[in-house]
Amino acid sequence: MKTLGTSAATALILALLLLARPGFAHSPICNCYDNLDGTVTCEGGFSDGASAEGVAMRIVDESDRVLLVGEMDARSTYTFDMPDGEFHVIFDAGMSHIVTIFSGDIE
Amino acid sequence: MVLRATVISGAKALVAAMTAFHVMPALAHFQMLYTPETALASGQATQLLMLFTHPAHGGPNMAMGEPEALYLISQRGDAADPVTTDLQEYLKPIFWHSEDGSVDAYEANLPRTLTRSLGDYVFVLEPSPYYEPQEDKYIQQFTKTVMNIAGVPGNWAEPVGLPAEILPLDKPYANWTGGVFRGIVVADGEPVPYAELEVEYINQSPDLEQRRFASDSEVEYPQDAFGTMSIRANAQGEFTIGLPRAGWWGICALEIGADTEHEGKPLSQDAVLWIQVKDMQ
Repeated sequence: MKTLGTSAATALILALLLLARPGFAHSPICNCYDNLDGTVTCEGGFSDGASAEGVAMRIVDESDRVLLVGEMDARSTYTFDMPDGEFHVIFDAGMSHIVTIFSGDIE
Repeated sequence: MVLRATVISGAKALVAAMTAFHVMPALAHFQMLYTPETALASGQATQLLMLFTHPAHGGPNMAMGEPEALYLISQRGDAADPVTTDLQEYLKPIFWHSEDGSVDAYEANLPRTLTRSLGDYVFVLEPSPYYEPQEDKYIQQFTKTVMNIAGVPGNWAEPVGLPAEILPLDKPYANWTGGVFRGIVVADGEPVPYAELEVEYINQSPDLEQRRFASDSEVEYPQDAFGTMSIRANAQGEFTIGLPRAGWWGICALEIGADTEHEGKPLSQDAVLWIQVKDMQ
Protein backbone atom coordinates (compact mmCIF):
# COMPACT_ATOMS: atom_id res chain seq x y z
CA MET A 1 0.00 0.00 0.00
CA LYS A 2 1.30 3.38 -0.97
CA THR A 3 1.47 6.13 1.62
CA LEU A 4 0.95 9.80 0.98
CA GLY A 5 4.05 11.97 0.79
CA THR A 6 4.51 14.72 3.35
CA SER A 7 3.49 17.50 0.98
CA ALA A 8 0.46 15.60 -0.31
CA ALA A 9 -0.68 14.83 3.21
CA THR A 10 -0.27 18.46 4.20
CA ALA A 11 -2.31 19.56 1.18
CA LEU A 12 -5.02 17.05 2.04
CA ILE A 13 -5.21 18.23 5.65
CA LEU A 14 -5.39 21.85 4.50
CA ALA A 15 -8.15 21.01 2.04
CA LEU A 16 -10.13 19.25 4.74
CA LEU A 17 -9.65 22.18 7.08
CA LEU A 18 -10.88 24.57 4.44
CA LEU A 19 -13.91 22.43 3.76
CA ALA A 20 -14.70 22.35 7.46
CA ARG A 21 -14.62 26.12 7.89
CA PRO A 22 -18.15 27.46 8.00
CA GLY A 23 -18.93 30.36 5.71
CA PHE A 24 -15.48 30.44 4.15
CA ALA A 25 -16.78 31.86 0.89
CA HIS A 26 -18.55 34.88 2.32
CA SER A 27 -17.37 38.06 3.94
CA PRO A 28 -18.32 39.53 7.33
CA ILE A 29 -19.86 42.99 7.23
CA CYS A 30 -20.52 45.35 10.11
CA ASN A 31 -21.59 48.96 10.27
CA CYS A 32 -22.27 51.22 13.26
CA TYR A 33 -24.14 54.49 13.60
CA ASP A 34 -24.57 57.08 16.32
CA ASN A 35 -28.16 57.19 17.58
CA LEU A 36 -27.51 60.73 18.86
CA ASP A 37 -28.88 59.77 22.28
CA GLY A 38 -25.66 58.53 23.85
CA THR A 39 -25.90 55.09 22.29
CA VAL A 40 -24.43 53.41 19.24
CA THR A 41 -26.08 50.68 17.18
CA CYS A 42 -24.04 48.22 15.15
CA GLU A 43 -25.53 46.04 12.44
CA GLY A 44 -23.87 42.90 11.16
CA GLY A 45 -24.26 40.49 8.33
CA PHE A 46 -22.52 38.45 5.69
CA SER A 47 -22.19 38.89 1.96
CA ASP A 48 -24.32 35.79 1.35
CA GLY A 49 -27.20 37.20 3.41
CA ALA A 50 -26.64 34.94 6.45
CA SER A 51 -27.76 36.20 9.84
CA ALA A 52 -25.19 37.57 12.29
CA GLU A 53 -27.20 36.51 15.35
CA GLY A 54 -24.88 35.37 18.12
CA VAL A 55 -21.73 36.95 16.67
CA ALA A 56 -19.46 38.16 19.48
CA MET A 57 -19.08 41.93 19.91
CA ARG A 58 -16.34 43.68 21.88
CA ILE A 59 -15.88 47.36 22.59
CA VAL A 60 -12.23 48.11 23.22
CA ASP A 61 -10.43 51.30 24.24
CA GLU A 62 -7.20 52.77 22.87
CA SER A 63 -5.15 50.53 25.15
CA ASP A 64 -6.93 47.42 23.89
CA ARG A 65 -8.72 47.11 27.21
CA VAL A 66 -12.11 45.46 26.76
CA LEU A 67 -14.86 47.82 27.91
CA LEU A 68 -17.94 45.87 26.88
CA VAL A 69 -18.76 42.44 25.55
CA GLY A 70 -21.98 41.22 24.00
CA GLU A 71 -23.39 39.59 20.92
CA MET A 72 -25.57 40.35 17.93
CA ASP A 73 -29.27 39.83 18.63
CA ALA A 74 -31.89 38.10 16.46
CA ARG A 75 -32.06 41.19 14.24
CA SER A 76 -28.27 41.14 13.79
CA THR A 77 -27.90 44.34 15.81
CA TYR A 78 -25.99 45.30 18.96
CA THR A 79 -26.64 48.57 20.80
CA PHE A 80 -24.37 49.91 23.53
CA ASP A 81 -23.77 53.08 25.56
CA MET A 82 -21.09 55.15 23.90
CA PRO A 83 -17.91 55.11 26.02
CA ASP A 84 -15.95 58.26 26.78
CA GLY A 85 -12.91 58.80 24.61
CA GLU A 86 -11.67 56.86 21.61
CA PHE A 87 -12.76 53.25 21.19
CA HIS A 88 -13.23 50.63 18.54
CA VAL A 89 -15.86 47.99 17.90
CA ILE A 90 -14.86 44.41 17.07
CA PHE A 91 -17.35 42.20 15.25
CA ASP A 92 -15.84 38.75 15.76
CA ALA A 93 -17.50 35.94 13.79
CA GLY A 94 -14.46 33.68 14.29
CA MET A 95 -12.25 32.04 11.70
CA SER A 96 -10.73 35.37 10.72
CA HIS A 97 -14.19 36.80 10.12
CA ILE A 98 -13.43 39.94 12.08
CA VAL A 99 -14.43 43.53 11.34
CA THR A 100 -13.04 46.45 13.33
CA ILE A 101 -14.74 49.84 13.33
CA PHE A 102 -13.07 52.85 14.92
CA SER A 103 -15.12 55.40 16.84
CA GLY A 104 -13.98 58.17 14.50
CA ASP A 105 -15.79 56.42 11.65
CA ILE A 106 -19.10 56.18 13.47
CA GLU A 107 -21.54 58.86 12.27
CA MET B 1 -35.14 54.06 -47.57
CA VAL B 2 -32.77 53.70 -44.72
CA LEU B 3 -32.87 56.60 -42.33
CA ARG B 4 -29.55 57.16 -40.59
CA ALA B 5 -30.14 59.23 -37.50
CA THR B 6 -27.05 60.37 -35.71
CA VAL B 7 -27.44 62.24 -32.46
CA ILE B 8 -25.36 65.36 -32.98
CA SER B 9 -26.74 68.02 -30.73
CA GLY B 10 -29.29 66.26 -28.60
CA ALA B 11 -32.86 65.26 -28.90
CA LYS B 12 -33.99 68.45 -30.64
CA ALA B 13 -31.88 67.82 -33.73
CA LEU B 14 -32.91 64.19 -33.80
CA VAL B 15 -36.61 64.91 -33.58
CA ALA B 16 -36.31 67.67 -36.19
CA ALA B 17 -34.55 65.30 -38.58
CA MET B 18 -37.12 62.59 -38.00
CA THR B 19 -39.99 64.99 -38.55
CA ALA B 20 -38.46 66.22 -41.81
CA PHE B 21 -38.53 62.67 -43.15
CA HIS B 22 -42.08 62.08 -41.84
CA VAL B 23 -40.83 59.13 -39.80
CA MET B 24 -41.94 58.57 -36.23
CA PRO B 25 -38.83 58.52 -34.08
CA ALA B 26 -38.21 55.23 -32.32
CA LEU B 27 -37.82 56.92 -28.96
CA ALA B 28 -38.88 54.81 -26.05
CA HIS B 29 -40.58 56.35 -23.05
CA PHE B 30 -38.82 55.55 -19.80
CA GLN B 31 -39.83 56.46 -16.29
CA MET B 32 -36.61 57.29 -14.48
CA LEU B 33 -36.18 56.59 -10.78
CA TYR B 34 -32.59 57.68 -10.45
CA THR B 35 -30.07 58.01 -7.68
CA PRO B 36 -26.39 58.53 -8.50
CA GLU B 37 -25.02 55.45 -6.76
CA THR B 38 -26.72 52.15 -5.97
CA ALA B 39 -23.82 50.17 -4.44
CA LEU B 40 -22.77 52.15 -1.38
CA ALA B 41 -20.09 51.30 1.19
CA SER B 42 -22.17 52.79 4.00
CA GLY B 43 -25.54 54.39 4.47
CA GLN B 44 -26.13 58.02 3.65
CA ALA B 45 -28.89 60.43 2.74
CA THR B 46 -30.42 59.48 -0.61
CA GLN B 47 -31.63 61.72 -3.41
CA LEU B 48 -34.10 60.34 -5.93
CA LEU B 49 -35.00 61.86 -9.29
CA MET B 50 -38.27 60.93 -10.98
CA LEU B 51 -38.41 62.03 -14.61
CA PHE B 52 -40.38 60.73 -17.60
CA THR B 53 -38.04 60.91 -20.56
CA HIS B 54 -36.23 59.23 -23.44
CA PRO B 55 -32.89 58.45 -21.80
CA ALA B 56 -31.06 57.22 -24.88
CA HIS B 57 -31.36 60.67 -26.40
CA GLY B 58 -31.50 62.95 -23.35
CA GLY B 59 -35.13 63.77 -24.08
CA PRO B 60 -37.64 64.92 -25.13
CA ASN B 61 -38.94 65.00 -21.57
CA MET B 62 -42.58 64.62 -20.63
CA ALA B 63 -44.46 66.33 -17.81
CA MET B 64 -45.20 63.95 -14.95
CA GLY B 65 -48.38 64.06 -12.94
CA GLU B 66 -48.23 63.53 -9.20
CA PRO B 67 -47.16 59.92 -8.56
CA GLU B 68 -49.76 57.56 -7.16
CA ALA B 69 -47.18 56.00 -4.83
CA LEU B 70 -43.51 56.14 -3.90
CA TYR B 71 -42.15 53.72 -1.33
CA LEU B 72 -39.20 51.54 -0.48
CA ILE B 73 -38.96 47.97 0.70
CA SER B 74 -35.78 47.27 2.61
CA GLN B 75 -34.33 44.05 3.96
CA ARG B 76 -31.07 43.27 5.74
CA GLY B 77 -30.04 39.67 5.17
CA ASP B 78 -31.99 36.63 4.03
CA ALA B 79 -33.66 35.90 7.35
CA ALA B 80 -34.89 39.40 8.11
CA ASP B 81 -38.41 40.55 7.38
CA PRO B 82 -38.80 43.15 4.64
CA VAL B 83 -39.80 46.62 5.84
CA THR B 84 -41.98 48.89 3.71
CA THR B 85 -41.62 52.65 4.13
CA ASP B 86 -43.97 55.13 2.47
CA LEU B 87 -41.98 57.95 0.86
CA GLN B 88 -44.89 60.03 -0.37
CA GLU B 89 -44.14 62.77 2.19
CA TYR B 90 -40.73 63.32 0.61
CA LEU B 91 -42.07 63.90 -2.92
CA LYS B 92 -41.20 67.36 -4.16
CA PRO B 93 -42.28 68.75 -7.55
CA ILE B 94 -39.44 70.22 -9.60
CA PHE B 95 -38.83 71.44 -13.12
CA TRP B 96 -36.39 69.48 -15.30
CA HIS B 97 -34.77 71.70 -17.88
CA SER B 98 -33.70 71.17 -21.49
CA GLU B 99 -33.26 73.14 -24.69
CA ASP B 100 -36.92 72.45 -25.43
CA GLY B 101 -38.12 73.97 -22.17
CA SER B 102 -38.89 72.72 -18.69
CA VAL B 103 -41.21 69.92 -17.64
CA ASP B 104 -42.73 68.76 -14.38
CA ALA B 105 -40.70 66.12 -12.60
CA TYR B 106 -40.22 65.05 -8.99
CA GLU B 107 -37.42 64.51 -6.55
CA ALA B 108 -37.24 63.05 -3.06
CA ASN B 109 -34.52 63.81 -0.56
CA LEU B 110 -34.47 61.01 1.97
CA PRO B 111 -32.80 61.50 5.36
CA ARG B 112 -29.88 59.29 6.29
CA THR B 113 -31.95 57.60 8.99
CA LEU B 114 -34.05 55.98 6.25
CA THR B 115 -31.15 54.59 4.25
CA ARG B 116 -28.32 53.96 6.71
CA SER B 117 -28.87 50.29 7.51
CA LEU B 118 -27.08 47.45 5.77
CA GLY B 119 -28.94 45.57 3.06
CA ASP B 120 -31.12 46.08 0.00
CA TYR B 121 -33.44 48.99 -0.71
CA VAL B 122 -36.03 48.45 -3.44
CA PHE B 123 -37.42 51.84 -4.42
CA VAL B 124 -40.80 51.64 -6.14
CA LEU B 125 -42.55 54.36 -8.11
CA GLU B 126 -46.13 53.98 -9.25
CA PRO B 127 -46.68 57.00 -11.48
CA SER B 128 -50.04 58.33 -12.53
CA PRO B 129 -50.94 57.47 -16.15
CA TYR B 130 -49.37 59.85 -18.66
CA TYR B 131 -51.39 60.84 -21.72
CA GLU B 132 -49.29 60.51 -24.87
CA PRO B 133 -51.01 62.63 -27.55
CA GLN B 134 -48.93 61.21 -30.42
CA GLU B 135 -50.33 57.76 -29.69
CA ASP B 136 -53.66 58.89 -28.18
CA LYS B 137 -53.17 56.63 -25.20
CA TYR B 138 -52.06 56.58 -21.58
CA ILE B 139 -48.79 55.09 -20.34
CA GLN B 140 -48.17 54.00 -16.75
CA GLN B 141 -44.73 52.60 -15.99
CA PHE B 142 -44.27 50.83 -12.66
CA THR B 143 -40.63 51.45 -11.90
CA LYS B 144 -38.06 49.85 -9.59
CA THR B 145 -34.52 50.88 -8.67
CA VAL B 146 -32.53 48.76 -6.22
CA MET B 147 -29.83 50.15 -3.93
CA ASN B 148 -27.56 48.26 -1.54
CA ILE B 149 -25.55 49.26 1.52
CA ALA B 150 -22.23 47.52 2.18
CA GLY B 151 -22.92 44.28 0.30
CA VAL B 152 -25.35 42.55 2.66
CA PRO B 153 -28.06 41.24 0.33
CA GLY B 154 -31.76 41.24 1.09
CA ASN B 155 -34.85 41.43 -1.09
CA TRP B 156 -33.36 42.44 -4.46
CA ALA B 157 -34.91 39.40 -6.16
CA GLU B 158 -38.25 39.42 -4.38
CA PRO B 159 -41.42 40.44 -6.22
CA VAL B 160 -43.10 43.63 -5.06
CA GLY B 161 -46.46 42.49 -6.42
CA LEU B 162 -46.95 45.24 -8.98
CA PRO B 163 -49.43 44.93 -11.87
CA ALA B 164 -46.40 45.04 -14.20
CA GLU B 165 -42.96 44.11 -12.91
CA ILE B 166 -39.51 42.91 -13.90
CA LEU B 167 -38.02 40.43 -11.44
CA PRO B 168 -34.22 40.56 -11.45
CA LEU B 169 -32.27 37.32 -11.60
CA ASP B 170 -29.01 39.22 -11.05
CA LYS B 171 -28.38 42.00 -8.56
CA PRO B 172 -29.32 45.27 -10.28
CA TYR B 173 -26.59 47.13 -8.36
CA ALA B 174 -23.67 44.74 -8.95
CA ASN B 175 -22.92 44.43 -12.65
CA TRP B 176 -19.60 44.52 -14.48
CA THR B 177 -19.15 45.98 -17.92
CA GLY B 178 -19.18 43.06 -20.36
CA GLY B 179 -21.43 40.96 -18.16
CA VAL B 180 -25.05 40.08 -18.67
CA PHE B 181 -28.22 40.87 -16.81
CA ARG B 182 -31.16 38.49 -16.57
CA GLY B 183 -34.72 38.96 -15.46
CA ILE B 184 -38.29 37.70 -15.68
CA VAL B 185 -41.22 39.78 -16.90
CA VAL B 186 -44.32 39.29 -14.75
CA ALA B 187 -47.80 40.76 -14.62
CA ASP B 188 -49.66 40.33 -11.33
CA GLY B 189 -46.98 37.79 -10.44
CA GLU B 190 -47.35 35.61 -13.52
CA PRO B 191 -44.62 35.35 -16.18
CA VAL B 192 -45.43 37.03 -19.49
CA PRO B 193 -44.34 34.81 -22.42
CA TYR B 194 -42.57 36.61 -25.25
CA ALA B 195 -43.02 40.00 -23.58
CA GLU B 196 -41.84 42.93 -25.67
CA LEU B 197 -38.96 44.76 -24.03
CA GLU B 198 -37.07 47.95 -24.77
CA VAL B 199 -33.58 48.59 -23.45
CA GLU B 200 -31.96 52.01 -23.31
CA TYR B 201 -28.74 53.46 -21.99
CA ILE B 202 -28.74 56.83 -20.19
CA ASN B 203 -26.69 58.65 -22.77
CA GLN B 204 -26.48 62.03 -21.05
CA SER B 205 -25.77 61.98 -17.33
CA PRO B 206 -28.46 63.56 -15.15
CA ASP B 207 -27.20 66.64 -13.30
CA LEU B 208 -29.26 66.72 -10.12
CA GLU B 209 -27.99 70.15 -9.12
CA GLN B 210 -28.76 71.89 -12.42
CA ARG B 211 -31.77 69.64 -13.01
CA ARG B 212 -30.89 68.91 -16.62
CA PHE B 213 -29.01 66.29 -18.61
CA ALA B 214 -25.36 66.84 -19.47
CA SER B 215 -24.95 68.33 -22.92
CA ASP B 216 -22.40 65.73 -24.06
CA SER B 217 -23.51 62.28 -25.14
CA GLU B 218 -21.66 59.20 -23.94
CA VAL B 219 -22.14 57.30 -27.21
CA GLU B 220 -23.26 57.90 -30.78
CA TYR B 221 -25.66 55.44 -32.34
CA PRO B 222 -24.79 54.01 -35.75
CA GLN B 223 -28.49 53.58 -36.51
CA ASP B 224 -31.79 54.14 -34.73
CA ALA B 225 -32.24 50.52 -33.64
CA PHE B 226 -29.20 50.93 -31.38
CA GLY B 227 -30.73 53.73 -29.32
CA THR B 228 -33.80 51.80 -28.29
CA MET B 229 -33.01 48.12 -28.43
CA SER B 230 -36.14 46.02 -28.80
CA ILE B 231 -36.01 42.43 -27.66
CA ARG B 232 -38.43 39.71 -26.65
CA ALA B 233 -38.59 37.57 -23.55
CA ASN B 234 -38.68 33.81 -24.05
CA ALA B 235 -41.65 31.48 -23.48
CA GLN B 236 -41.09 31.68 -19.70
CA GLY B 237 -40.94 35.47 -19.69
CA GLU B 238 -37.17 35.40 -19.11
CA PHE B 239 -34.67 37.64 -20.84
CA THR B 240 -30.93 38.25 -20.87
CA ILE B 241 -29.19 41.41 -22.02
CA GLY B 242 -25.51 42.18 -22.48
CA LEU B 243 -23.94 45.12 -20.68
CA PRO B 244 -21.35 46.62 -23.03
CA ARG B 245 -20.81 49.91 -21.21
CA ALA B 246 -20.64 51.26 -17.67
CA GLY B 247 -23.44 53.52 -16.55
CA TRP B 248 -27.17 53.16 -16.28
CA TRP B 249 -29.37 50.85 -18.32
CA GLY B 250 -33.16 50.90 -18.31
CA ILE B 251 -35.27 47.87 -19.18
CA CYS B 252 -38.95 48.33 -19.99
CA ALA B 253 -41.56 45.64 -20.58
CA LEU B 254 -44.40 47.05 -22.64
CA GLU B 255 -48.17 46.69 -22.25
CA ILE B 256 -48.21 43.79 -19.82
CA GLY B 257 -50.55 45.06 -17.08
CA ALA B 258 -54.14 43.90 -16.80
CA ASP B 259 -55.66 47.38 -16.97
CA THR B 260 -55.90 48.45 -20.59
CA GLU B 261 -58.11 51.53 -20.40
CA HIS B 262 -57.95 54.84 -18.57
CA GLU B 263 -60.42 57.70 -18.94
CA GLY B 264 -61.79 56.25 -22.13
CA LYS B 265 -58.40 55.84 -23.81
CA PRO B 266 -56.11 52.84 -24.21
CA LEU B 267 -53.71 52.35 -21.30
CA SER B 268 -50.30 50.69 -21.51
CA GLN B 269 -49.16 49.40 -18.12
CA ASP B 270 -45.42 48.86 -18.41
CA ALA B 271 -42.69 47.66 -16.05
CA VAL B 272 -39.32 49.41 -15.76
CA LEU B 273 -36.21 48.23 -13.95
CA TRP B 274 -32.95 50.21 -13.74
CA ILE B 275 -29.54 48.65 -13.39
CA GLN B 276 -26.13 50.21 -12.81
CA VAL B 277 -22.98 48.87 -14.48
CA LYS B 278 -19.35 49.46 -13.54
CA ASP B 279 -15.98 48.96 -15.19
CA MET B 280 -13.50 46.51 -13.70
CA GLN B 281 -10.54 48.61 -12.61
